[in-house]
Amino acid sequence: MNQMKYDAVIVGAGIAGPIITRNIARAGYSVLLIDKKWAIGMPKQCAEGISIKIFEKYDIPYDKRFINREIYGAKLYSPSGYELELRYKEVSGVILERKVFDKMLAYYATKAGADVLTRTEAVDVIRKDGKIVGIKAKHEDEPVEIYADIIVAADGVESTIARKAGINTYAPPHEFDSSYEYEMLIEGFDPDSIHIWFGNEIAPRGYVWVFPKDEDRANVGIGINSDNPRTAKYYLDKWLRENNIPAKKLLEINVGIVPVGGFVKELVKDNVLVVGDAARQVNPMHGGGMAEAMEAGTIASKWIVKALEEENLELLKNYTKEWWETDGKRLERVLKVRRVTEKLSDEDLDLFIQVLSGADAEKIAGGDYVEVIKALLKHPKVLLSPRRIKLLKELL
Amino acid sequence: MPEKIKVVVNEDRCYLCSGCAAVCPTLAIEVHSSGWEFIQEKCISCRICINACPVGALSAEPLEVKE
Repeated sequence: MNQMKYDAVIVGAGIAGPIITRNIARAGYSVLLIDKKWAIGMPKQCAEGISIKIFEKYDIPYDKRFINREIYGAKLYSPSGYELELRYKEVSGVILERKVFDKMLAYYATKAGADVLTRTEAVDVIRKDGKIVGIKAKHEDEPVEIYADIIVAADGVESTIARKAGINTYAPPHEFDSSYEYEMLIEGFDPDSIHIWFGNEIAPRGYVWVFPKDEDRANVGIGINSDNPRTAKYYLDKWLRENNIPAKKLLEINVGIVPVGGFVKELVKDNVLVVGDAARQVNPMHGGGMAEAMEAGTIASKWIVKALEEENLELLKNYTKEWWETDGKRLERVLKVRRVTEKLSDEDLDLFIQVLSGADAEKIAGGDYVEVIKALLKHPKVLLSPRRIKLLKELL
Repeated sequence: MPEKIKVVVNEDRCYLCSGCAAVCPTLAIEVHSSGWEFIQEKCISCRICINACPVGALSAEPLEVKE
């Protein structure tokens, strides 16, 4: 039996895991990052779009090796074909190549002094005298025991280690979206914008996306409610067919489940922290979770380093507190909007996409929407509909 | 009482995305890098995993009851 000892062990080399690992290593502590995959970054479960702001904010190099394309805006389409465009003069976001990006994040962690082991699957926690003292893992077929003062479950949507450690991450099926995506050749869409289609027939409770990675190559995907009797694949293939988009040049297929219905309440139990998709820290409006994982990872690593410095594991609880006071608070507002948008009919979607401006849409997606809702409430087609008034007032 | 079932995977459709493991209330499904595993003793026959699969790779078989 191979045994190891670290100050901290991080399970999962997605987005949150490597950021936390890097930050702990930079503070001079011993840290190991493990992942069950044999190649970090693949397969991805992601549309790969992210705001340009994250590079500076989370100290990530703007390295062209993982940036497929710079994006200048977004175009939203209603069920009847009304369009709403957000367009910037400057680059507002990028479409990443996750299989390079995630690996580079892990590489930055190793350069800061951390160890990284791939094809190392966390199997269970190790308990001693009622306390969790490490994790049992398997590197290829070899069992390993990794002892650590602090354990981070950044193990994705299934959150196996978090759950085995006794953190309640469970959510009912309607709180997830099912997703299916092709990376494919596609023409006829402005390759400098991302494109989003809404509609209860198109994508129940979700949307179809085209995120360009090249002039003629894009991630084309869909998210729908996961308790839907039909599959995400069914709806995406149907949309492609109905829009006469040939799906004959497929370069990748990606599949996954996205937690979009709320966030894990207790993010810390004793010396175990849960972060990222495992903690359901995802924007419930658009289902993106990379920026959220970076933010939560930054907060978590700050308190891990403090706990190690002061040799006081009680300090870890501040991660729960700080996350809920900051990004958790913002995401709760976004969740409130999402719960209202779930109830919109196709006619409502047509109306709102017709009357809103790009700037309005951006405010709504960001959770800063009170003024936009107040303006909408004065629109004649809203004033005449008690149902629409009631829906919008739920947001105030 | 819902009918007791055994969940089976169509390996040719499955992408090992772990979605089924995520929605399972009882940790009755484990997704390893090498494959998909169903743990019958933990399954409560709720069928949540079957609906949630983005590609329809899961289905139910009636569980044979020992006489």
